[in-house]
Amino acid sequence: MRLQQILEKLIEQGATYCDIRKEVWNRTSMTLKDGDLEAMVQGDERGAMVRVLYDRGWGCVGTGDLQKLEEASERALLMAKKGAKYKKEKTGLADVDTHTESVKIPMKKNFMDVHPEEKLDLLKELHSFFDEETANSTDLRYNDSLVKKEIITSDGSHVKMEIPRLLIYLIITGKSDTIQKASEGVGSTGGYELTERAFDKAEVVQERLKNLLKAKTPPSGKMSLIMDPHLAGVFAHEAFGHAAEGDLVSSGNSCLYGKLGEKVASEIVTIKDDPTIDSYGSFPFDDEGTKARKRVLVKKGILNDFILDRENAWKLDMQPNGGARAEDFRVKPLVRMSNTIIEPGEMDFDELVEQVDKGVYAKSSSGGQVSTVQGTFQFNAQEAYLIENGEIVTPLRDVSFNGFTLETLQNVIGITDEMQIGIGHCGKGQTAPVGDGGGHVLISEVTVGGRE
Amino acid sequence: MSEKLLEGTKKILEYFKKRGLKGDVYGTHDRNISYSVMKGEISDSSEYEDIGFGVRVIKDGRIGFGYCVPGNEEEGVSRALELSKLSPRVDINLPTKRDLEAVKTYDESIKKASNEAAELTQQVIDGAGSVAEDITPSRGQLNIMFGTKVVGNTEGVFFSEDASMIEGYIAASLPLGDTSVIASEFAHSRKPDIDFYEVGVKGGSKVDSMRDKTSIPTDVPVVLNPSSLSMLLWFGLIRAFNGENVRKGKSFYRDRLGEKVAHDSFNLADDPTQDWGIGSSSFDDEGVVSFPLPFISDGVLKNFMYDLKEASKSETESTGNGVRSSFKTPPGISDRNVIVKGDEISDLCYDRVIKVDGVMGAHTANFASGDFSVVATPAWLVEDGEKRGRLDGCMISGNIPDLLESIEMGDDYKKLHLSLGSTSLNMELPSARIGKVTISGK
Repeated sequence: MRLQQILEKLIEQGATYCDIRKEVWNRTSMTLKDGDLEAMVQGDERGAMVRVLYDRGWGCVGTGDLQKLEEASERALLMAKKGAKYKKEKTGLADVDTHTESVKIPMKKNFMDVHPEEKLDLLKELHSFFDEETANSTDLRYNDSLVKKEIITSDGSHVKMEIPRLLIYLIITGKSDTIQKASEGVGSTGGYELTERAFDKAEVVQERLKNLLKAKTPPSGKMSLIMDPHLAGVFAHEAFGHAAEGDLVSSGNSCLYGKLGEKVASEIVTIKDDPTIDSYGSFPFDDEGTKARKRVLVKKGILNDFILDRENAWKLDMQPNGGARAEDFRVKPLVRMSNTIIEPGEMDFDELVEQVDKGVYAKSSSGGQVSTVQGTFQFNAQEAYLIENGEIVTPLRDVSFNGFTLETLQNVIGITDEMQIGIGHCGKGQTAPVGDGGGHVLISEVTVGGRE
Repeated sequence: MSEKLLEGTKKILEYFKKRGLKGDVYGTHDRNISYSVMKGEISDSSEYEDIGFGVRVIKDGRIGFGYCVPGNEEEGVSRALELSKLSPRVDINLPTKRDLEAVKTYDESIKKASNEAAELTQQVIDGAGSVAEDITPSRGQLNIMFGTKVVGNTEGVFFSEDASMIEGYIAASLPLGDTSVIASEFAHSRKPDIDFYEVGVKGGSKVDSMRDKTSIPTDVPVVLNPSSLSMLLWFGLIRAFNGENVRKGKSFYRDRLGEKVAHDSFNLADDPTQDWGIGSSSFDDEGVVSFPLPFISDGVLKNFMYDLKEASKSETESTGNGVRSSFKTPPGISDRNVIVKGDEISDLCYDRVIKVDGVMGAHTANFASGDFSVVATPAWLVEDGEKRGRLDGCMISGNIPDLLESIEMGDDYKKLHLSLGSTSLNMELPSARIGKVTISGK
């Protein structure tokens, strides 16, 4: 049975809405550890997810067997009907423009045409770049994936898209009085041409490790913090962006609930989430078939928008903005970010540092966690320096800091006039490729957790 | 057992034979049913069924990996064979046919429970909502999983095992003026024997005890609940037992086998043979028969863990710790079902302590040094066994190996499962009382 016929049958059976997302994946991944190939894997898979809204209930069924799609649709309808019995609150989908379109994100050099040996040689070349005195262990990873998606909805959208993504991840380890690790990723949507950027990152990561190996443990307590563009982007993503996800807002699981139009940050802060720029978290249509567009979440300190799929836009009486993303055909789309950016300001880096009597300059993230309800966050920087009397003085390691998101955003007192975007993977039960960045950001006070 | 899984595995082994190859197949057929909770009610339900094969070919000592789905088996083998040409030579010895001692991992009544998943989810919601009118079961999930895995190889191994799991999670929130506080509770089991209403009540009761706030003391011991302790141990300690990290000098336990590394009563082992253990299985994902592996016994460092490849490089035997996160990934070294035991003190909050129910940022611990810095939330100041108020923004920093020297363990054992990217944490452990930490915050 064709996809359209399955949808028509579901509607005939009483479904309020339904859609099918069919995906075909091709992936290559390889890991080179200390110069030796650890593993190289290639494979492809295909499958689809059927989503059904029946009255107030949702049923979503994913299958890797496309011959069982009709069976999956029947099961989804059954689950939706059962879910509707337990749901008191009404639900619906905000209207969107329908599209019949086919889009391919271009690859200047198609990675599917590159022999695995060439990819392996690239990693070997990167390995040989590292100075063995500094990096006594290397773990270099290459991943490419091409997904071909077809999304068809019962209200008339039918979009097809091809999204190629490439990622190279460099992790190096060195030893002084302690073992330290430095890492950087490079990648985007696009083709094999993206690998050209890897050697610049190799230099960055080697320099970082050198500094970490002579770094001291950090102080603890309240102090100023300068975040580099990557860490600032991760902060914008983790601490603020998650709280701006429409599902968390509409369900009261966000500290931003009820604050639209209110001042939530210093007036120099503008935060955007933009799936349309050339970066790792980009896509032309979301996984509900809604055309992707830029969303200005905070405009000069004022909460301006949320990231919204169709259901949560309906609940909040707002416009959907292409915020629904699913890891693959096995799972339902969730409200997710794309490329989250703190807009550049007007200062230069030296001006930021001069303003700090005692503080930390933190670069790149090694992870973080947030509570969107309480509006709290915790981050670790990969690389950091102590700032004293307006000067960067000593390298620090294992720097961790935490605070309250809205209080911290109000404490932003400087942003540099520059834009750099890093890449990452966001976890929310499912993994999504994302970008994050901005300029350097100065915060007047956060809690730094050190062992001193 | 899934016929498609069985047929596909046999087909791949036939292709190996025809082409004169060595190798193994890891096949899985899983079904997963989930119900989500948002704002006090079931928001949606979802389900997926997945079947696939991970193929490892060994040709002239070179290893190649591929994966495929049913109907595509020959292509999976060809792809793995092609990639093996790029691999360096590694002498790995695939396990030979052995008798399996069955480990209990599957309960047939899980299928009945899967038809009642909506009712069970509603029980969690009702339990949390029953605690107080102003408490909302704001987010939650109930997952039911069951399936079969098969490992077959060209040395005669052909093992299969069914497994089941049910888990429930609820986060309950309480509005407090301009802000809200939140606490969560969860339960995991191989069998549908969880009282989900009680899970909800526990989550609701925790947040109910967060109404009052107090200031953070900086000079008291910390009592970590099983979940918080598991996160710190998993990110800051367990990787020190990984044979590859040991060989490469990235483990702080290198060259310390047989030495005292923890308090006399501290025991930590990987035991995948424990019946109904969340990570238990009678064989690992490379077909090695499972056995208990003590890492630390009575405070003394006993063993490290290896998969087949690392065992070859380290000139030892696999300890049955070859784990695949899915059929799409090659095996790597991982713990499987970690059991932590100590002196089983019934009340760890016997004086003035910070009681911690969750930690943020454990994954940022430096696994090479064991240093960590986390935010404890929810956390309370407890005096004479009574919660005196919640602590906001309480940061705890320390070093895991240092903590183990004086750690005191409780008796409130809990089974935990957490999916962490490409791997998962499976542990059974009680609460612990630790000193030697730096506490900061308001």
